[in-house]
Amino acid sequence: MFKALVARFKEGCRTGAFPPAAPNLPPDFKGRPEIAANTTAEDVARMKAVCPITDALTFSDGKASLDMGRCIFCGRCAEACPKVRFTKEYRLGVFRREDLVVRAGAGEYVPPVQTNPEALALKGSLHLREVSAGGCTACELDANVLGTPAWDMARFGIRFAASPRHADAIYLTGPISENMQLALDKTYAAAPDPKFLIAAGACAISGGLYSKGRYPVEPTMYIPGCPPHPATTLEALLRFTGNGC
Amino acid sequence: MTELFSFSSVDEAYAKLDSLGGYVNPEEVTPLKGAAAHEVAVGPVHAGVIEPGHFRFQCMGEDVFNLQIFLGYQHRGVEEAIVAADGNLPRQIALAETCAGDTSAAAAIAFAELMESAFPDRFPVPDGDALRIRSLLLELERIANHTGDLGALAGDVAFLQTASFCGRIRGEYLNMTALICGNRFGRNAIVPGGVRVTLETEKIAELRKWIARVKPELDRALKLMFHEHSVCDRFDGTGKVSKDVARKIGLVGVARRASEEFNGDVMARALVRRVEINEAHGNISRILDGETPSGSKTVKAYDVKGGFPVVVATTPAWRGPLTHAAAFSPERKMLRYRIVDPSAHNWPGLAWALRGEQISNFPICNKSFNLSYCGTDR
Repeated sequence: MFKALVARFKEGCRTGAFPPAAPNLPPDFKGRPEIAANTTAEDVARMKAVCPITDALTFSDGKASLDMGRCIFCGRCAEACPKVRFTKEYRLGVFRREDLVVRAGAGEYVPPVQTNPEALALKGSLHLREVSAGGCTACELDANVLGTPAWDMARFGIRFAASPRHADAIYLTGPISENMQLALDKTYAAAPDPKFLIAAGACAISGGLYSKGRYPVEPTMYIPGCPPHPATTLEALLRFTGNGC
Repeated sequence: MTELFSFSSVDEAYAKLDSLGGYVNPEEVTPLKGAAAHEVAVGPVHAGVIEPGHFRFQCMGEDVFNLQIFLGYQHRGVEEAIVAADGNLPRQIALAETCAGDTSAAAAIAFAELMESAFPDRFPVPDGDALRIRSLLLELERIANHTGDLGALAGDVAFLQTASFCGRIRGEYLNMTALICGNRFGRNAIVPGGVRVTLETEKIAELRKWIARVKPELDRALKLMFHEHSVCDRFDGTGKVSKDVARKIGLVGVARRASEEFNGDVMARALVRRVEINEAHGNISRILDGETPSGSKTVKAYDVKGGFPVVVATTPAWRGPLTHAAAFSPERKMLRYRIVDPSAHNWPGLAWALRGEQISNFPICNKSFNLSYCGTDR
């Protein structure tokens, strides 16, 4: 008992300063991409040749675009063509699917603000039920770390609930494999109203490398990444309830 | 099918089992009958933030007679997708890496070594730097996962200090991986023929400093747990898989080592993880000192009759040997791809470990194996 207390004392407080301080991201962190306005169809073709995802990069109406909902942030396109650059912008969560598409020459990025009053009412108490539906467990693991002392999302009242009965939102990871479709539908149905669906990771948003199953309802938040960095997820969940950082 | 019913106790049921020759595939045991017989079903969606699987505890009174494990919820066709992506190397690597996210680095190494063996004309032999970076990512993955598992074991017996410390320390190792390649799971770094990242002198110095700070903290957290009587009391003798059974059902990796070198209980599997954490640190410091590890020595190429090459690559992943195999046409078009996660061998071990235990011991038995659902389901 005494040894445990000494160890606890020596460990001290390990919770990061983020938020409100900026998160500690690795030097090669790949965040929101930027695409130069003069990116040509040939540039896009060159990038598509090395892109592991079908249709993450597109060229239409004379403009290149990159869909963060499909992207796995491997950075191969930026290596093939300097007109795409992955910035350190980690605030990637959005409320509408179309907002995940980054267009060539887009101006300064401002993360969208939550306006849904039912979501805003959850500020300070957001309970999530995680459903892993065919995911590779990277998204699940990096959601789990938010509960460790390093991130401690419970200090903002955000927790993973053991039952959908106690959940305000279903936190979906994975492409919704055929064998998880029924379990996802039932879990969503078991949550009390009002309820939300949050899709985290390329698989849950677009299927990513796989083909996606059917959402029970359209998600009210999309958190892209493969997997999303814990800082991205925490910032998105805070913004989801209007608790910006 | 073996019929087992109307036993008044687990002992009686096991006596019957012994009379049948000892080993019955857990999946072949039919539901029990009798006054004390009952079945508890859990999943596929579990209470924690974990993968889906369905478990049925077939109990006689308080004791679990048999654990039935139903998997397949995570099946999304990784192998078929790898074959379909033939010719799109970045896509194939990404698919291999996402077969089991916690084993991404090992999977990328297995895939890369397989392709290097199948296409020696297309991919160069990886140089020393590439081999060093691959091994670093593999060993960091091992330490991060073992640390997380030991913390989770502590959490499951309500020893919250080590649970909290390890939760935080696991993140330090994931961040070291991210320092090397930008991704906490070691993704997007390993490619056939080499690696896409460089390990500059400054990064090596930073890694050395980082590990020198974190390793003593990890040792302290683990010592605290392994010296705590209340923890030892829960781990000792729980979920035992004997050496004979481990051999008979073909366990691999951590679970096999625990039954061979120790006595095969939860404590044994925890101790093996601690041993492997120390071994991995030894490997890392040798790599950082400039030693070049040899590539995996277990890549085998076969020429099946008719000129169909088959290549099998095995990587020492953190759970045990991870095997990737591919069959090619004589023109070396990929025909089939097969991934055998070490978990695929070890799920029956979990069922064995739970025999005669109470359901309340399932979490620590499960955590002591920590098998991959997605890696098994593919």
